[in-house]
Amino acid sequence: MTRLHRALVVLLVPLLTFGAVASVVAQEEVNISHYFSGELNQENLNTVMANFTEATGIGVVDSPIGHEDFKAGILAGVASGVLPDVFSYWAGARVQFVVDAGALQPIGDMWDAAGLDDVVPAGVADAATLYNGERYFVPFNIHYAAFFYNPKVWAEAGIEVPDTWDGLMDAFAEFEMQGIDPIALGSKFRWPGQFWFDYLLLRTAGPDYRAALMAGDASYEDAEVVRAMEMWQELIDAGYFVDGANAYDWVDAADQVANGQAAVTLMGTWIGGRWKGQGLVPGEDYDFFDFPEIDMVPQAGVGPIDGWVMTAGADSASAGALLEYLVNDVDTQTLWNTSYGSISPNVNVDPMAYDVVAARAGASIANAAVYAFNYDLATTPPVAECGLDMFSAFMDDSSDIAGTLATTQACAEEGFMQ
Amino acid sequence: MKLSLKASQRLWTFAFLVVPLSVYFVVVIGPLLATAWLSLTSYTFSAFAPPEFAGLVNYERLTGDDYFHTSLKNTLIWMVAALILPTGGGLILALLLHGRVRGANVFKSLFYLPITISMIVIAQTWQWMYQPDWGLLNTLLKTIGVEKWKVFWLSTRGLALGAIIFAWSWQQVGLSMVIFLAGLTSLPGEMLEAAQIDGANYRQSLRRIVIPLLLPSSVVVIALAVINSLRSFDLVWVLNEGGSGSSTLAVQMYRETFKSLRAGYGSAVSMVLFAIAVIIIVFYFRRVRRLEHLYD
Repeated sequence: MTRLHRALVVLLVPLLTFGAVASVVAQEEVNISHYFSGELNQENLNTVMANFTEATGIGVVDSPIGHEDFKAGILAGVASGVLPDVFSYWAGARVQFVVDAGALQPIGDMWDAAGLDDVVPAGVADAATLYNGERYFVPFNIHYAAFFYNPKVWAEAGIEVPDTWDGLMDAFAEFEMQGIDPIALGSKFRWPGQFWFDYLLLRTAGPDYRAALMAGDASYEDAEVVRAMEMWQELIDAGYFVDGANAYDWVDAADQVANGQAAVTLMGTWIGGRWKGQGLVPGEDYDFFDFPEIDMVPQAGVGPIDGWVMTAGADSASAGALLEYLVNDVDTQTLWNTSYGSISPNVNVDPMAYDVVAARAGASIANAAVYAFNYDLATTPPVAECGLDMFSAFMDDSSDIAGTLATTQACAEEGFMQ
Repeated sequence: MKLSLKASQRLWTFAFLVVPLSVYFVVVIGPLLATAWLSLTSYTFSAFAPPEFAGLVNYERLTGDDYFHTSLKNTLIWMVAALILPTGGGLILALLLHGRVRGANVFKSLFYLPITISMIVIAQTWQWMYQPDWGLLNTLLKTIGVEKWKVFWLSTRGLALGAIIFAWSWQQVGLSMVIFLAGLTSLPGEMLEAAQIDGANYRQSLRRIVIPLLLPSSVVVIALAVINSLRSFDLVWVLNEGGSGSSTLAVQMYRETFKSLRAGYGSAVSMVLFAIAVIIIVFYFRRVRRLEHLYD
């Protein structure tokens, strides 16, 4: 062996050994990305992933991204073909979008092998996991949007929690008279305004019409949408929303309700996660009531179902094991949902584990005639941008409904053509 | 074969340049060319299909896009503000802290500190300052008894852009100050002494000697401020995502490309931004060359 050969062997052996070891290690790792960062329960997700590694020996390489940046980041990843093995996503049009892009791997085999039909209620499974006839998504938690309030503020004001639309209007008028802002809304980053549009449209035009609008089969200039916007306009004109809603984010709105500055905020159950983290007691310091019935249409619940998907290039064994663990492991589901203020999609989670507010939210979801995903998850991402812009602009200036809707319709038409 | 010294030098020059030039091509020139090409296509991320040539359609559309007009106008306003706020503020601070001033080094450090902080942190800090209920500015207004002037800094049309530019200038002013201080340090002392002997007061010295001699520093400060103003994305995005009429070209580029997924159209916006930057940079280099010639 010449000196050169020897030198090559000395160099290559460690390199090859390292490569072999690295490839074995790589098979035992799952790269994940998600939006459960910071105050969106990152700490408990870290615990969940650590428990998964302990239970299975499969490592998890975690790359969290901020909630709003995630929406753009993952689509850029889909376009460029650079995606983690597993990422969190929202059931509905968002998952449909990446399924159509061919970026995901079906999980039907894993689903059947794990017997998840017995774990996830059929309604949730059908609505959230099936796309183009195949399963792609495991649900992780369900959130529900409703009016959240501080019971002590309502009690001090001597106002009963309403269960009708007229009752709600009376309550708002009374709060206004008492110098308390009836509605907190933090629409600086646009999305919190969507729940107003969703519920007003769902309660007046019904879920079928709303589904048609989300799919591009109806127009934003239809009388149904105009009516919903007029009702929203009336609330704005009456001065029921806090001044400068676009100057606040949802956390500010939550604080305004918690400290008695405002009576309600229309928000998802994740607000409970924030409040519990601040030491507020569910049922005592905060509670919720459903968006009341307006017209005789099927009463829909609104909210996102967060979950996980496996990308096309991922190792289906390790990534599939993680997906199964996340939905099937009862301890994981209990820890995650009780800390996040959400409802578990796993029927084996003990209902007693929830706090009173979350338990009631679960009942509201169960009682809803239809469960609809919120606006920016119910329509395609490009069209969602049109609507989110509209909601934010409407809070700035609600005077020209026809013009606002014409702009949105033009934008949506282009979005649906993309 | 033995290379001549000149050939050998050329070879080594090439060898040393090839790596940085390759990197430069991959991270700057390549994306620039790709963006220019994309701006001539109707490419959208959502189509998941290769880009199709569409000619100047995206540029034609820009002419009728109100959002683009607002973004362009705001970018130009920002550039003009960059000429005034960080430049003027930096010059004033430099003049105040130049020479024997007690605690000058502490003040210099304090004023320079913001430039060392990430723009995201700056944005978060100003987010707190501008918060309507408990932010520093409204709290100050409340403290002096004008609670009714509750200002929605980041959501009032006509005010939001100004508030964001002010926050940006707050960060930039330290950089301008340091460049002006360097310029002041290199001023020929004998010229100022001669002016003093001739009876010139401070104002006259400043107007006739100091400011003209600071011209090279001013060109650097203005060019940096204007070029930095064109990159105004992160601060705007964190503060209000370009809402309430505060969008800039950089913000629109991001929104069109990564939110609305119209990569072709977003690329057209970025090419407009690029064109503005090129004009400024060309102007800057011509100016610098003229100054070099003048001072030679």
